[in-house]
Amino acid sequence: MTVNYKQVQEQIQSLAAEAPERLQELAKRRAMAEELLHGGTLDLENLTEKVQTIARKHDQNLRCAVPVSDTNGSFPPLTTHITLPEFPKQATILAADGSQILPDRHAEVYFGLINISAIQMRYGESTPPQTTSTSQLFYDPALQGVSEATLSLQRDLNERLILVNLAAKAQPPVITFTDGPLELWGTKESTGEFQKSLQAYLQLLENLSNSNTVTAGYVDRPAANLVVRLLEISLLPQDHLFVINQHSPLQGVQDIHLFAGVLAPGERSCVFGIQSRSSINYSGALGLHFFYLNVGREGHPWPVRVEIPAWVIADETMLNDLHSTLVHQCHIMGQRPYPYLLHRAHELAVVSFEDAQQVSHMISMELQRHGVPFGELSYKQSAKNLGGRTRLER
Amino acid sequence: MGKIIGHLLRASTTRFVVGCRVSEMESPAFGSLIRVPLLVGTEIYGLIYDMHIDDDGLVRQLVTAEDIDPSVIADNRINRNVPLEISVLAVGYNQDGRIHHLLPTRPPLSLDVIYKCTDEQLREFTTGRFGYFRHILRAKDLPVDELLAAHLRDAHKANAESGNSEWIHVATQELIVLLRDDYPTLMSVLSALSDIQIPREKVT
Repeated sequence: MTVNYKQVQEQIQSLAAEAPERLQELAKRRAMAEELLHGGTLDLENLTEKVQTIARKHDQNLRCAVPVSDTNGSFPPLTTHITLPEFPKQATILAADGSQILPDRHAEVYFGLINISAIQMRYGESTPPQTTSTSQLFYDPALQGVSEATLSLQRDLNERLILVNLAAKAQPPVITFTDGPLELWGTKESTGEFQKSLQAYLQLLENLSNSNTVTAGYVDRPAANLVVRLLEISLLPQDHLFVINQHSPLQGVQDIHLFAGVLAPGERSCVFGIQSRSSINYSGALGLHFFYLNVGREGHPWPVRVEIPAWVIADETMLNDLHSTLVHQCHIMGQRPYPYLLHRAHELAVVSFEDAQQVSHMISMELQRHGVPFGELSYKQSAKNLGGRTRLER
Repeated sequence: MGKIIGHLLRASTTRFVVGCRVSEMESPAFGSLIRVPLLVGTEIYGLIYDMHIDDDGLVRQLVTAEDIDPSVIADNRINRNVPLEISVLAVGYNQDGRIHHLLPTRPPLSLDVIYKCTDEQLREFTTGRFGYFRHILRAKDLPVDELLAAHLRDAHKANAESGNSEWIHVATQELIVLLRDDYPTLMSVLSALSDIQIPREKVT
């Protein structure tokens, strides 16, 4: 026990004492944001132009929502709420998730592994869902230069790849989703490695688009302020756009705070575009969009963000099918809504500590069989593994 | 051969536990006679006295939903690893074709395959002697009355089908003799037997 509880206790007391004041301040900002959202004074066309100007001239890293006009060229209000559409009578639902074993230089065997699982359910039939899992081992020399970020990128790619492969064989209409944003994330986006992965990822999205497959990224309890940031921009005078980086009057307010009050259970918001540094990579049919969806129940709203590509919003049936499918999937889970198939895909994909040990054991046994020497635990790890106190049993 | 019920999880000389998927639970029933083939020519017999269905976090959450989709039920029963645990009381063994109503000389081993006995095998095990009753009557922590009633119903059906309708009456008489000094258990067993489809006038 080396945590200095006395110091921690002092800090807890201090933060608790300041909490009411912080909450009061946040409530004021929320009220201001709600007033802006519901006020009906926003000129969404002008606001869209402002966003484009800021991104072009003042802040290339600007990350916010962008209003999307409908087919008539007019912008739906930001408070638009669309009721739960009819559930598709027949559809193939596919979810995928992945996990990995990161290489550990302190372990006996230096290896990495990516495990991807998918689960497929056919609505309108009572047959059990079909599950698929693929595991990719990384061992010397394939492990040379492979970092944690590389494995994460490869995992994200493989998640989308398994969906592409299964969707190609599935009976249409096909609705696919993964956990987390649709946008491919990398810490070093300028590197050749990321760019290569991005191109492969875009190609997979292209394949899904060509096969008219719905795809989405489901973000549970999103902490983003994409729409809030848009509202902040609306407060900026046209001739002061250059101060965008010092302008955050709604700091701390999150989108879900706003949409919890806008969306009734089962409703979705209007669709927004995403302005981000990397959104330029996703053009045309692959353009990144999102909507908020309240998967909660009466008195307990639970807005989640659903990221979708442009080809899905171009087809209202696709959008409605995705909407109703996600709500239905969430309702399967009862009081804590989350898409059932996503949970199952995670359950299938997760690699436990025991799994990692088993793979390590399999590798060392095989190496031993071929007379190849393998390492031993680092002394650091060995020291960490030392047992606790023991007592002489009577 | 009989239907495969599952594989052995853990065992002692007197009892063992079998694991199977929930989807495979149609064949075994409380009181069924099962067998575990060991080496060539040896197999252990047992009676199912308990079945456990364990839950987990997901199942606990799913029951909070208003209605559960049939495919979700199928997924949980077929795809998910939620085993059904079947507890078995050892009641005898077969060595080189000869049935003994003694405890097996050694317990079955992990992952040994467990089969449900066919009617023919049930008849072979129960015909003539009732030595295995003492294993059941000794298991005071089990619902002995219910277990005997379930077993006697199965065995009576198997024996009656081969023309031996008297088997149930002989078995009941044997139980009365074995329990003559244990009136409460005897009453409880006879009460349970009266609830199964046997001609009442010959039971006591």
